[in-house]
Amino acid sequence: MMNDTPVYQQPTEAMPLLIVPNQDNRPAGATQVAIRQLNFFYGKSRALKDVSLNVVANAVTAIIGPSGCGKSTLLRTINRIYELYPDQRAQGEIEIDGRNVLDRKYPLSDLRRKVGMVFQKPTPFASSIRNNVGFALSYYERLSKSEINDRIEDALNQAALWDEVKDKLNQSALGLSGGQQQRLCIARTIAVRPEILLLDEATSALDPISTAKIEELIHELREKFTILIVTHNMQQAARVSQRTAFFHLGELVEFGRTREIFTNPVQQRTQDYITGRFG
Amino acid sequence: MPSRLITRRIVDWLAFLFASAATLFGLFWLFWILWTTLAHGFAGLNGKLFTEMTPPPGSEGGLLNAFYGSMAMILLALIIGAPLGIAAGTYLAEHGRYSRLAKVVSFLNDVLLSAPSIVIGLFVYELVVLPSGHFSGYAGALALALILLPIVVRTSDEALRLVPDQMREAAFALGIPRWRVTSRILYKAAATAISTGVLLGIARIAGETAPLLFTALGNQFWNAQFGAPMASVPVVVFQYAMSPYDEWHTLAWAGALILTIFVLGLNLAVRLVARRGK
Amino acid sequence: MQQSREHTLKAFDEDLDRLRALISEMGGLAEHAIQEAMRCLMQHDIDGAELVVDGDARIDDLEIETERRVVQLIALRAPMAGDLRDSIAALKISAVVERIGDYAKNIAKRVPQLVGGGQIEPISLLPEMARIATEMVHDVLDAFVNRDADAAVRVCQRDQAVDDFYDSIFRALLTFMMENPNNIGQSAHLLFVAKNLERVGDHATNIAEMVYYAATGRYMGDVQKYGGTR
Repeated sequence: MMNDTPVYQQPTEAMPLLIVPNQDNRPAGATQVAIRQLNFFYGKSRALKDVSLNVVANAVTAIIGPSGCGKSTLLRTINRIYELYPDQRAQGEIEIDGRNVLDRKYPLSDLRRKVGMVFQKPTPFASSIRNNVGFALSYYERLSKSEINDRIEDALNQAALWDEVKDKLNQSALGLSGGQQQRLCIARTIAVRPEILLLDEATSALDPISTAKIEELIHELREKFTILIVTHNMQQAARVSQRTAFFHLGELVEFGRTREIFTNPVQQRTQDYITGRFG
Repeated sequence: MPSRLITRRIVDWLAFLFASAATLFGLFWLFWILWTTLAHGFAGLNGKLFTEMTPPPGSEGGLLNAFYGSMAMILLALIIGAPLGIAAGTYLAEHGRYSRLAKVVSFLNDVLLSAPSIVIGLFVYELVVLPSGHFSGYAGALALALILLPIVVRTSDEALRLVPDQMREAAFALGIPRWRVTSRILYKAAATAISTGVLLGIARIAGETAPLLFTALGNQFWNAQFGAPMASVPVVVFQYAMSPYDEWHTLAWAGALILTIFVLGLNLAVRLVARRGK
Repeated sequence: MQQSREHTLKAFDEDLDRLRALISEMGGLAEHAIQEAMRCLMQHDIDGAELVVDGDARIDDLEIETERRVVQLIALRAPMAGDLRDSIAALKISAVVERIGDYAKNIAKRVPQLVGGGQIEPISLLPEMARIATEMVHDVLDAFVNRDADAAVRVCQRDQAVDDFYDSIFRALLTFMMENPNNIGQSAHLLFVAKNLERVGDHATNIAEMVYYAATGRYMGDVQKYGGTR
């Protein structure tokens, strides 16, 4: 399925012209995100140590590890959301489609367009459902009202939420259940058509049925997006991902195909963690 | 039953007794005040209250100029103080979280918050009344604004801090520019808390008397000009209560009653807003 | 890879230990059954043979118990990696050991048929064959309990000896049958006994492959299995 390529008449609010990317030209197994020698510091303490990782396109990569091992930090480095906090800094390179996004010169707006993030706690805006999903669209593209509505419907469909909310788009998003709110956040994120989705423990706050629905959603989204999911639930990582990266104390210990990691890992530390032998 | 259990029960019951007694004590005075205000003020409630000006000693009249003056000065104070307060609160919560300057500003705000209102009145007297040569509604409104300001700053700051960081991050991750995140998303999320803060601020300044005494002074006649002395309900109550005239006493009580009802109404409004915000 | 530490959940360790104990018990019973069956065969002990036949029921019960426990373990503990391979191996091994027990029963069943037929020459080879086969079973189950891949490989290499024994016995019995048609009945039984023992050896190598995979996550190559002799 081809993505549309809308043409922009003029940039909005001093943002550069953006072109919607086409996911289909990528060969299978290609690297979309190349992380090289990444170090991350909270003040003086180092949270990520020389991490190098190649994230495969159109696949789900799970990042597992005990608490404090740096998994969320890694995600937050990829979309530079850590820049909100002055005492956090990153060194190293993260290349997305060949360009280093950690470079100061790389425009943040491009990055935020390419990379979407969903957090652990569902955070719908205090607004209508329609407004939640379509909110960010106006900052990237100039669309007519009907086009915006189409994009909202498309995003909600992809997030498997359309049927449940199509009759109440103008109602407050705060009235939805936890699982629905999280799917709304996913819809909101994919409405701007990013290439990469970062899910930071996105189902940790939800009940098992909502979790299962979102896992199924991830499975469907994988065809269009490159997905990185941080989870402390190993069974979820095993169910949902094709590649798994195991982190411990800020280091990448092992990275490989999920089926290999969970049946026959190479590193002793990995084996100890996934069999529940960690101290 | 073991004796320890009995002792515990007795202590429990005594504690409950003391707590209830203390509550009743407080409530007793509250109800007495309310009852007194209602009883005395009710006698003065009639149509003339809202249609006639404050009368000369010995005759009957109303409080129209006082009501108008209070409303006008509160409104002006609101226009001056609320936007400034919200903006300052936004600065403290959003942009200044890690800066030294913000900590200083926050501290100074707390000082202003606890400053005696008469000191603020005196300040405005020196600043506005003396140079201009006369008392004015502007001065009164300014004094009220200076009392309202730190309240709104504090409540806006806290209201915005209550919005979870993850919502901010979610908005930024979507690529929305900073000031839009604040104006469209954060304000909406904190709207309930900010507006209740403003309402409570209004309730506070509605009853302030001391600062108005030597800024707006008071006016026996109708005056809608801010440039001249303006009447206000608390000042009228102050003046008339201490006078020897019975008609004035009645008016004072009536004024006090209306003021109380107004403040009560504001508090109820706060409750309503808070509940709808949920 | 080592299973170095203990599980955070102690009950998990207990479950795995109980599984290993079950396999050990089954193996012990099966070994004993083979040895007893051979003894009864050589000493013409019909009553002893009957005991062996009855004793097989216990091995069958243990297999069912093992299967039940493995299913429970997988459902409740969600084992991963080495633990998962161990559990699946336990399941498969229990089935194989049960079959070994059946072979012992089979041998014991033939004892009444063979008694009263006099000593036959080829019968002297059988005890030695049985000893090697039984040793293989013993060693391979030890290798499972100890997660010893190398020991498993060594077990495989001994199968050649068992096969050679079988070939010798086969030729001898064939000759014996051709000499005297009256011998055919007895010889046929003995052939089956030899075949059963040869199968026991093969099963032991099957178990060895399962143990190797459980311990290492890789499959035993041909070189390791046959020790370069083929």
